[in-house]
Amino acid sequence: MGILFTRMFSSLFGNKEARILVLGLDNAGKTTILYRLQMGEVVSTIPTIGFNVETVQYNNIKFQVWDLGGQTSIRPYWRCYFPNTQAIIYVIDSSDTDRLAIAKDEFHAILEEEELRGAVVLIFANKQDLPGALDDAAVTEALELHKIKNRQWAIFKTSATKGEGLFEGLDW
Amino acid sequence: MSGHDSKYFSTTKKGEIPELKEELNSQYKDKRKDAVKKVIAAMTVGKDVSSLFTDVVNCMQTENLELKKLVYLYLINYAKSQPDLAILAVNTFVKDSQDPNPLIRALAVRTMGCIRVDKITEYLCDPLQRCLKDDDPYVRKTAAICVAKLYDINAELVEDRGFLESLKDLISDNNPMVVANAVAALAEIQENSSGPIFEISSHTLSKLLTALNECTEWGQVFILDALSRYKAADAREAENIVERVTPRLQHANCAVVLSAVKMILQQMELITSTDVVRNLCKKMAPPLVTLLSAEPEIQYVALRNINLIVQRRPTILAHEIKVFFCKYNDPIYVKMEKLEIMIKLASDRNIDQVLLEFKEYATEVDVDFVRKAVRAIGRCAIKLERAAERCISVLLELIKIKVNYVVQEAIIVIKDIFRRYPNTYESIIATLCESLDTLDEPEAKASMIWIIGEYAERIDNADELLESFLESFPEEPAQVQLQLLTATVKLFLKKPTEGPQQMIQTRDQLPIFICTCTVFKHSSQSVVTNTNSCLQVVLNNATVETDNPDLRDRAYIYWRLLSTDPEAAKDVVLAEKPVITDDSNQLDSSLLDELLANIATLSSVYHKPPEAFVTRVKTTAPKTEDDDYPNGIDTGYSDTPTHVADGGTSPQTSSSSAPYPAGRQPAPPPAAPAPAAPVPDLLGDLIGLDNSAIVPVDRPEPAPAAPLPVVLPASTGQGLQISAQLTRQDGQVLYSMLFENNTQIPLDGFMIQFNKNSFGLAAAGPLQVPQLQPGTSARTLLPMVLFQNVSGGAPSSLLQVAVKNNQQPVWYFNDKVSLHVFFTEDGRMERGSFLETWRSLPDSNEVLKDLPGIVVSNVEATLDRLAASNMFFIAKRKHANQDVFYFSAKIPRGIPFLIELTTVIGNPGVKCAIKTPNPEMAPLFFEAIESLLKA
Repeated sequence: MGILFTRMFSSLFGNKEARILVLGLDNAGKTTILYRLQMGEVVSTIPTIGFNVETVQYNNIKFQVWDLGGQTSIRPYWRCYFPNTQAIIYVIDSSDTDRLAIAKDEFHAILEEEELRGAVVLIFANKQDLPGALDDAAVTEALELHKIKNRQWAIFKTSATKGEGLFEGLDW
Repeated sequence: MSGHDSKYFSTTKKGEIPELKEELNSQYKDKRKDAVKKVIAAMTVGKDVSSLFTDVVNCMQTENLELKKLVYLYLINYAKSQPDLAILAVNTFVKDSQDPNPLIRALAVRTMGCIRVDKITEYLCDPLQRCLKDDDPYVRKTAAICVAKLYDINAELVEDRGFLESLKDLISDNNPMVVANAVAALAEIQENSSGPIFEISSHTLSKLLTALNECTEWGQVFILDALSRYKAADAREAENIVERVTPRLQHANCAVVLSAVKMILQQMELITSTDVVRNLCKKMAPPLVTLLSAEPEIQYVALRNINLIVQRRPTILAHEIKVFFCKYNDPIYVKMEKLEIMIKLASDRNIDQVLLEFKEYATEVDVDFVRKAVRAIGRCAIKLERAAERCISVLLELIKIKVNYVVQEAIIVIKDIFRRYPNTYESIIATLCESLDTLDEPEAKASMIWIIGEYAERIDNADELLESFLESFPEEPAQVQLQLLTATVKLFLKKPTEGPQQMIQTRDQLPIFICTCTVFKHSSQSVVTNTNSCLQVVLNNATVETDNPDLRDRAYIYWRLLSTDPEAAKDVVLAEKPVITDDSNQLDSSLLDELLANIATLSSVYHKPPEAFVTRVKTTAPKTEDDDYPNGIDTGYSDTPTHVADGGTSPQTSSSSAPYPAGRQPAPPPAAPAPAAPVPDLLGDLIGLDNSAIVPVDRPEPAPAAPLPVVLPASTGQGLQISAQLTRQDGQVLYSMLFENNTQIPLDGFMIQFNKNSFGLAAAGPLQVPQLQPGTSARTLLPMVLFQNVSGGAPSSLLQVAVKNNQQPVWYFNDKVSLHVFFTEDGRMERGSFLETWRSLPDSNEVLKDLPGIVVSNVEATLDRLAASNMFFIAKRKHANQDVFYFSAKIPRGIPFLIELTTVIGNPGVKCAIKTPNPEMAPLFFEAIESLLKA
């Protein structure tokens, strides 16, 4: 009986874990964002060969956040994680203007995916603390976000090391 | 592989994999854990669950240790089949190797070492480095073992990253477990490496000795094994080491005891003081005796090792012979080994007791054991001169009980005793002759005949006895025939004129013999006697009516000898025979040294050096036949004047030429070869003693790097170009294909079909070609199976292939099957079986072909290349200025090819002769070998 009640509770209160993917090119700051969200502190990271998964509790909602490595060699395997995903956080290194074009291509490739049709998209224009970082408007332009149709999306300026803008994004 | 086969069941198991997939992705931890358990269960029973790889790996980051272990288990199993996806696990490993829980850190490192995927090894170095310096000893020791595993995958990486130095540092670790594991890892690395990697210095020595007393029993084994390889600087140091190790002899674990014994034996070599040695011998006896009270299996291992130990240091167990007496309920293998050791330990002091035991054993029921016991008596007689008489009287008593096999065995050993003590015990011959009729085994018969021939002058009716055997001469085995031949010649030389003359001489049946034997005829006109006619019957039988080349040759030699100079024949045939010696110390000292160094390993149980049965050892030095010889005389059948030349070394059988005509027979070699001389040297070059040319067994095959031939040009395939070739890799036939899309549209849905062909080649699985974008290409290796849809008719190399895709019509093309892709890895033949097979095949199965355009300039390289295609070099010989090479190869269904290549090195033109049960394959074979030699 007890178990049954707990089950009913969780379904009543929507205590379901939402599945969020954190994607982006390598060295964009995905892992840093993940641990900033989870523990609230900056951890020193090494390139993620594979994935990290953590459960983040925010405003009584549990998120299961998957941070996938951004190296060229791992990008093909992102698709393994697409099913059942409610939201995507696409992280962009705003100071790395050279690779914005690649970031754009990858991003639009993701949007094409059948399995992600229903997922909302949140874009973090990360590394705003660095000099020469583009602001959100410029990133919007570069990623051609205006082309996105039939989908909820938003962009935020963030700085993972300073912790700015992250929770605003989640609030959205 | 189970993976391939499971697809046949996928229809019945529909839904299982997707169901598991769903559960694995469940939001509930319990459900996920159960799902992983189900996956592991499926994996264990052999179902292919590799398609769930990512889903399982996604469960890897968990707090739950149980779940983590299960996922790791899955990874170890499937990382190899999903090498690309395995990279997804790397980050978790890296994280886990920094986990606060040492169990998880160790688990991560251990699992990493088990995943043998090149792509991820490099990522594992950093965690490994960290773990080698971990605070927790359990993590350090796990990391130490992991280094050894990594060395096996990528030795260079280990050396570059300085892991070896870290390992050596670990020897000085303060935790004995870590020390033991570091030693084990280093020892393993040393075995796989050519350079000196692990050498114990005096500093590490003291560390090891300290750790020895503290670590677990298996750790002790590793340390003791390492110590036994240490070369002490002087006797003093050796004594010190031995003193520290001696307490290990009392250990309850027999592995520790044996390792300690090995180590002490090695160090004893250096100790000069006889007192110390005697003391040590005394100390080693009780633990060895204790081993014999364990289970029979352990007893056997102990006995095999003791066998070696006794050969080096008989004193250790000299007083303990009683423990080797067989108990009635010992398993037969233990009994046999005990007998062996009893023989070795038998001495003048204990021989009475031992003989009593042997006599007892000789009346037991197990035939093999009884035989061995009888032989043991004979060997004791040969070994101990003073006891010989007693042994013989025991043997005579045994003969009196008239049990057939006992009598036969006794006669065999008595023959050996005669050879050991000539002219001493001949008085018993009469007794032996009484049992003549009961003999039915070749060896016993041969022995008896030898005795009759050897002592013909003392046996009144020797000719009658021999005659009784002669009636069945053609049916006798070769061994008996040879003995009969020699004995008859001996008899003739010893008493040419004796005997009744009732036998009719069969002159007319032997025209050749009579007319060429003029000297013989004239010089002994009166010798138209019984023995003479015996001799003629034998010679006739042995030359004309036999196809055994050994027998024929020997008969011809005797015949020539007798016809040219009977006196010389006397000198040769009745020459003084060297006295045989005790052969119970069978192993030669260098082999014994090597085996003693390997006590407590399989090597010491097999009594073979490790490289003889472990192919992975880097120096697979091919053994010559001489090395095996000490084992060959193991049976106690020491040597007789008519040493049975083993069929593998006769010139007639190996070359395809006709037997030498009698007139061209070279000068006769001495008819009584020196004992134990393995077959005369005149054939040495045929045996192919340049062993350097024999390639190691497990040579990796070179990857097919050459561009593939185009089978479907783009012009025919509307822009699709296919290149393909059959190759062989790891024992499997593969169709290596390259698809190039030169069309304007993406192509997908590729499928392949093979028409019926001579070899029944067909695809083993579906063609794995992804969608091809315009301008791209894809390579694939299609596994093939044989004998699927075999076409009849003469074998043909034609392979008709059809390929289709979703966008284009079906394309047909022809490819050529090169026979050498079917050559199997087990095609290597021993020289003996090669010659036998060659002989057994009729000449009509031999096919010849000249390959005029081929030049063999570098023999080594050619042999290597042929070996890489599973065409195995057997021997070579020189014939005039030509080199003749012999090879063997085998295609599936066990069809062998015996190949003879004749060429002048560096000059164009190779003559190729092959013999095979399937000569209709010959044209295909010639095509294959031509392409192999050309390449």
